[in-house]
Amino acid sequence: MTRARPIGPRATRAGALGAFVERAGDVGALLRGEGEHAPDAERVPWSSLCALAFTSALLHGAVVGSFGMRPMQSAFSAVKLPLLLALSTLLCLPNFYAVNAVLGLRDDFRAALRAVLAAQATVAVALLSEAPLVLLAYASTTSYPFAIVANGACFALASACGQVVLGRHYRRLVEKDPRHALARRAWLVLYVFVAIQLAWMLRPFVGDPGLATRFFRAEPFSNAYVVVLRTVAALFSGRG
Amino acid sequence: MRLDFLHVDRLLRGHFTRPDDLARGEIDVPTRTLALAAALLGASYGAFMGLYGALRPGHASALQVFASAVKVPLLFLLTLLVAFPSLYVLSALADSRLSARDTLRLLLCAIATNLALLASFGPVTAFFTLSTQSYAFMVVLDVFFFATSGLVGLVFLRRALNHVFRGIDAQPAPTAAPLHVTTEPNTPGGTGLPPALAPAPMPTSPSRPRAPKPRARAIFTVWILIYAVVGAQMGWILRPFIGTPEREFTWFRERGSNFFEAFFKALGQLFS
Repeated sequence: MTRARPIGPRATRAGALGAFVERAGDVGALLRGEGEHAPDAERVPWSSLCALAFTSALLHGAVVGSFGMRPMQSAFSAVKLPLLLALSTLLCLPNFYAVNAVLGLRDDFRAALRAVLAAQATVAVALLSEAPLVLLAYASTTSYPFAIVANGACFALASACGQVVLGRHYRRLVEKDPRHALARRAWLVLYVFVAIQLAWMLRPFVGDPGLATRFFRAEPFSNAYVVVLRTVAALFSGRG
Repeated sequence: MRLDFLHVDRLLRGHFTRPDDLARGEIDVPTRTLALAAALLGASYGAFMGLYGALRPGHASALQVFASAVKVPLLFLLTLLVAFPSLYVLSALADSRLSARDTLRLLLCAIATNLALLASFGPVTAFFTLSTQSYAFMVVLDVFFFATSGLVGLVFLRRALNHVFRGIDAQPAPTAAPLHVTTEPNTPGGTGLPPALAPAPMPTSPSRPRAPKPRARAIFTVWILIYAVVGAQMGWILRPFIGTPEREFTWFRERGSNFFEAFFKALGQLFS
């Protein structure tokens, strides 16, 4: 049985969709950690990882934004979802490098970065695989909160998939030096912290049918954590 | 036609899902024939199910027989279509050797098994339809038959997955080669501990560190969860299947609400 699939020529000129179709054969390899996506493969498939992550996030974003059946919201969400993945990763990378360097893991940074990118690509691919579930949820309800919860559940599942791939890459690194476990944890904590705020800034992704279609919400940028704390405080002061 | 049911017979006897083939990650099934057989089996039960709508005390309509005969196979095949990408991604993440196509074949086998059993309940449903007026009784009976045959489909899938992941365990790990690094304890890159104190390396046995059974079980659990949720909701969208005596025949009921809202509303009403 041939397990490592030959990879076709890059199709950057054919546009995002063309590149995605070209890379579709890669998905199995990415998910199983085989071929050029094996944790110990010589060459790091940077372009393949980025293409998979970008196109999957783009397509899933379009699906997420289709709740109100408004093409503009779909287009906005298709732009925003890859933006969310890319920006949150980029914002945390300098710290990830610093943490690795301080822990004396600089020599493995290439492998660590590859682990992180593979995990992000997996999150995007897993999200896209859940797109039919999102569409089914949309088809069966007109409730905006239900649509939000359904999307939240899909994100949670996709993040868990990303962790599986991150774990697969990091198992080898931790075998080599246990301090990699600490670097991985530091990455995770910072990434979640940043991604939540970025997702808050980039909302709406689903698009409340009761509100006008906009790229960003009308109100100025706010801090997700402050909003949550204020809500909790209001809850207690209101009751007490 | 005759050939289709021969295939179903072979399926039920487990000829398509031999343990050795599954362990190698191969499923040799005549996919189209099996899908057609599944559709026919589902349609036959759907027709028996819709019989109540044709004979019901009020608003009797023979169209219900036809509608249900179309909807039951559609319910299963659409559920498969919607849930399949997630199911495949999850099993691939767990290192299943089944390709996307083979995963689809395996799920189709499980669904065909499920539908074969469901169809075998058809005459019983018809018998009760002819001898009872109660809509509620028919709902409970149909749910019971769906649940029973679903359970058999699950047992089939569970066994197959166990064989699939047992195959993985027997396979040497493809990533057994260590990183090309010399681990000297006192270099800045090392742990800085004498070898005796350094953390024990992972056991380097040729087999993968995780046992196959928990993995098969975890995948099975998640699959069932997704499939059940999608199936329940798909059934909700495609309703009515039986046809309540209080309403005219319709192909579909109004959009809105969902299986879970309705379920929790019903629960709330039970306790209020």
